[in-house]
Amino acid sequence: MNAIQSAWAWLTQAQQWSGADGIPARLIQHLEYTCIALAVAALIALPLGLLIGHTGRGGFIIVTLANLGRALPTLGLVVLAFLITNGSPAAVLVALVVLAIPPILVDTYEGVQGADRDVRDAARGMGMTASQILFRAEIPIATPLILLGLRTAAIQVVATATIAAYIGLGGLGRYIIDGLARSDYAMVGGGAMVVVALALSVQVIFVGIRRFAVPAGIRQQAQTS
Amino acid sequence: MDWGWISANRGELISLAGNNLYLALIPVVLGLVISIPLGVLSVRWGWVYPPVLSATSVIYAIPSLALFIFLIPFTGIVTSTRDLTLIIPLTLYTLATLVPNVVDGLRSVPEPVRQSATAMGFGAMRRLARVELPIAVPVVMAGLRVATVASISLVSVGELIGNGGLGFLFTDGEQRDFPTEIYAGIGLIVILALAADALLVLLGWLLTPWRRSDPGASHSTREEAAA
Amino acid sequence: MIRFDHVTKRYPGSAVPAVNALDLEVPDGQTMVLVGPSGCGKTTSLRMINRMIDLTEGKIFVNDQDIQQADPAKLRRGIGYVIQHAGLFPHRTIEDNIGTVPVLIGWGKQKARRRAGELMELVGLDANMARRYPHQLSGGQQQRVGVARALAADPPVLLMDEPFSAVDPIVRAILQDELLRIQAELRKTVVFVTHDVEEAIKVGDRVAVFRPGGTLAQVDPPARLLAEPVDDYVADFLGFDRGIRRLSFFPASTLELDTDPLAPDRITVADARARAKESGQSWFLVIDTERLPRGWLPVAKLDDLPASSTLAEAPVEGGGHSFHSSTDSLRAALDATILSPSGQAAGVDDDGRVVGVTSYDELLAAIHVLTSGDGDTAGGESRSA
Repeated sequence: MNAIQSAWAWLTQAQQWSGADGIPARLIQHLEYTCIALAVAALIALPLGLLIGHTGRGGFIIVTLANLGRALPTLGLVVLAFLITNGSPAAVLVALVVLAIPPILVDTYEGVQGADRDVRDAARGMGMTASQILFRAEIPIATPLILLGLRTAAIQVVATATIAAYIGLGGLGRYIIDGLARSDYAMVGGGAMVVVALALSVQVIFVGIRRFAVPAGIRQQAQTS
Repeated sequence: MDWGWISANRGELISLAGNNLYLALIPVVLGLVISIPLGVLSVRWGWVYPPVLSATSVIYAIPSLALFIFLIPFTGIVTSTRDLTLIIPLTLYTLATLVPNVVDGLRSVPEPVRQSATAMGFGAMRRLARVELPIAVPVVMAGLRVATVASISLVSVGELIGNGGLGFLFTDGEQRDFPTEIYAGIGLIVILALAADALLVLLGWLLTPWRRSDPGASHSTREEAAA
Repeated sequence: MIRFDHVTKRYPGSAVPAVNALDLEVPDGQTMVLVGPSGCGKTTSLRMINRMIDLTEGKIFVNDQDIQQADPAKLRRGIGYVIQHAGLFPHRTIEDNIGTVPVLIGWGKQKARRRAGELMELVGLDANMARRYPHQLSGGQQQRVGVARALAADPPVLLMDEPFSAVDPIVRAILQDELLRIQAELRKTVVFVTHDVEEAIKVGDRVAVFRPGGTLAQVDPPARLLAEPVDDYVADFLGFDRGIRRLSFFPASTLELDTDPLAPDRITVADARARAKESGQSWFLVIDTERLPRGWLPVAKLDDLPASSTLAEAPVEGGGHSFHSSTDSLRAALDATILSPSGQAAGVDDDGRVVGVTSYDELLAAIHVLTSGDGDTAGGESRSA
């Protein structure tokens, strides 16, 4: 189709690949936002999720947060952050973090909760302390879901950062927003393609991490379920 | 926060909300209708499921804006009369959420129940309709809630490519530097989403009279989706 | 009547068939128990009857109809099926669970629910459970519902696959008794699978013992099985105490009970001493005015008691139990004798009144006479322990 051809043509033009407006530059920007936001979100959500999951208290917060996280419109949040801080880019990053927290929190909580009651019982019966149970039994078992949460959050951040181009953020979203503004649909299409490529790469990277980080027994168990 | 503006523009807000709901709920219904046969097939023919699961994984990974954009050449910019560009991707997202839930729900039917149904002379179709799907309702409903809430929220992104229901308040508010509109937009979307969620919980409760007396019935936890 | 005609079941990839050239006839109105170790083909054989598993070779006839010619769903609606974990529909009430097949074959909902009510009474379930859901019932109750459900459309045949294995032993014994009671009333053709040989003997009119590899070792009524196992395999399978267990099939009513050891509690110690000297008893069974047993009194103790006191004030010993002289088996009498402090057991009637007393000698004589006969039980085999 014509649209695809023109988008591809745009993508393969040499000039797209150099300079401050080039794809590599914007890609790096996008990755920066993603990594920072993800790291901050993980720093907050992982310990919180482990704590709530391990003690089993506060599950209600998790459920509410999960719902809210899904309900909050990304565009709205990003624009709001921008407006009420009069254009501070940090505020936008805060919005990215806020949207990334729920998936990590929920999946970490469920991962820890999901460790079989019998497993926890046996661990306690063997004389493990609470933190030993946490680190030696619950977390390894929870790793698949924790990774899933991080992966979901990462993709969420990639997507939201793209949208945040609307209020001036850099990154790959610029192509889409600028292209829409100028009716340059080749740019829009090309930009979208790069964004998708990034998102899928993130997916693949996390699958790879899973292979290394998840103990073999658990990985196989999850696959047969 | 300018409450005056909100009450002055009630009509407009309601109309936008209605449009948002319309754009969000059609995909959910379509997704539900497609996901049930797809889920049933995935259970009946086990080999169908891994590729289906991979496909849903990929769909999840694609940012919504990009997915909308990919559809534009085929279905055009979104206007109030041309909304397939939004509906098709949102249906795909709903499918991606629901198919695993339908499969898990069907698989959650205890084997003795399935065996005794067969032994009593239930044909496969009848067993599906009278036994397996009813028992699967709680799990499917959990997915339906997720899909509905996400759908209502995602519609707003469509504003960037033409029409996003309540998303209009975000771009308009940004242009006019008028936070009240943003708050209104966020607030209404969240309210609509949570209200829809509550209605679905009620619907689920109505459909499953046998769980009302069961203190052990837990809300379903999401299972790891193998990539 | 169910007939297996040279039936073989082979699973692909397995060298040994699960069921091998099985010939078996299940007479109408009887309980045929299929028993054997794990993997012997008993469950496979059962499940071939209602075509949950399809046979590889041979034919199976249910009431002279070749099941291969029948539509499976239709066939199954005419056969009741009870399995280990009941498989009740969690999303339906008890009465709707029971009424499943009637509704399936076209009865109206009201009629089905009425029928469910009848069956609940039959299997001993309280009527107020009709609107409850399975998860609200205990395991034993759920199994009763399973049986009721299987009987709902009044099928002539009932298949039961280890139906009582998942409940605790006390409930299991109760359910087995219930099954016997229901069978006495309904006389269905029942095929019952179990790995527990005790259960097989208790419940079955005929028992088919399977060998590993899906062939039959022996098919006989339980009494003959215990008396004449056809080879070492069957004897081992039956267990080392089959001699004693065989006694369950001989009635205690054949025993001649002695009334000499009975001593009313109102007689004096002096009288008792005199009686003991005369008859040579070493123990008395003290009974009250109703002829209910109070306990055993060793004659030696009489010397320590004041001559004028009555036996009512004497320190009697309890221990063990009595046996019902007209309905219990020799096994019960033997057990009572073993547990009694005096080496004698009290036989009582319906109201618990003592009829007489038996002793080891008496028992041995009776056992010898009965079991050295032609090995058949006397009429009316009793199944009480």
